[in-house]
Amino acid sequence: MQESNWKEIFLWLTRRRRRCRVLGISMLPLLSTDDEVLIDLQAYRHQHPLIGDIVIARHPTQTGLQIIKRIMGVNEDGRYQLRGDNPDPIRNSSVLVHFSLILGRVTSRFAAAK
Amino acid sequence: MKLLTRTIQKLFPARMTASAHCDGPCGVYDPASARIAAEAVLSMTKKILALDPGDRSHATANSLSRFITIKEEQAQLAKTDLLILWTDYFKPPHLEQYPDLHDIFWQAAKLCSAAKVEVSIEKAEELMETINKIHTIFWATKKREVPYYTAS
Repeated sequence: MQESNWKEIFLWLTRRRRRCRVLGISMLPLLSTDDEVLIDLQAYRHQHPLIGDIVIARHPTQTGLQIIKRIMGVNEDGRYQLRGDNPDPIRNSSVLVHFSLILGRVTSRFAAAK
Repeated sequence: MKLLTRTIQKLFPARMTASAHCDGPCGVYDPASARIAAEAVLSMTKKILALDPGDRSHATANSLSRFITIKEEQAQLAKTDLLILWTDYFKPPHLEQYPDLHDIFWQAAKLCSAAKVEVSIEKAEELMETINKIHTIFWATKKREVPYYTAS
């Protein structure tokens, strides 16, 4: 994942990116807990998510919980299969979400954990 | 740039958060994830067998290497998804209702390994058939009629 460059910072300052803090280790080794990323909340207004995209989505059953995962596949019924990068199955899980629950695409790492 | 972003992070931490927690008790299970991975295994097996190893070109070697890597990963993913479904979703009452449940999952896990180790369309197709059985049992336990389908 690319680090935030001047363009990304500019987009954040002009409110076209949102900062978001990662909690948990299911995205290791790419992202660790307390890393901050920038998100494009408009990314999927005119195009569908692609397999491999890292996205922020609302959890399908836990109200108020937002998750960060990678898109691994698309079901025929339109649901997206999301999964963390962590290869340890105990530290990871997959979840199926509808397109409407996907909030945006992660575009860069703003800052690594302190 | 890093100094700037770290300073911002330190002084004004992001308020928005996203969970990347480990496997939580969300109760969301679906054999579809294993089916997608198993389909990828079948697809890669067919692509590997369609290549001519006597070609000896770099392009063929590259394609072969990529196809094998994907087959390995997806077979392991299918196995992991099946094992999570088996151990986390299914409970003793399900076993009473479907006495061959353990045997079906055991066979499915063995087929994932066989499809990974070998280049066998028969094993990959057998894995798909076994996942179809699991699909039928899974949705029957939820008292829902969900048709089985494949993406390819």
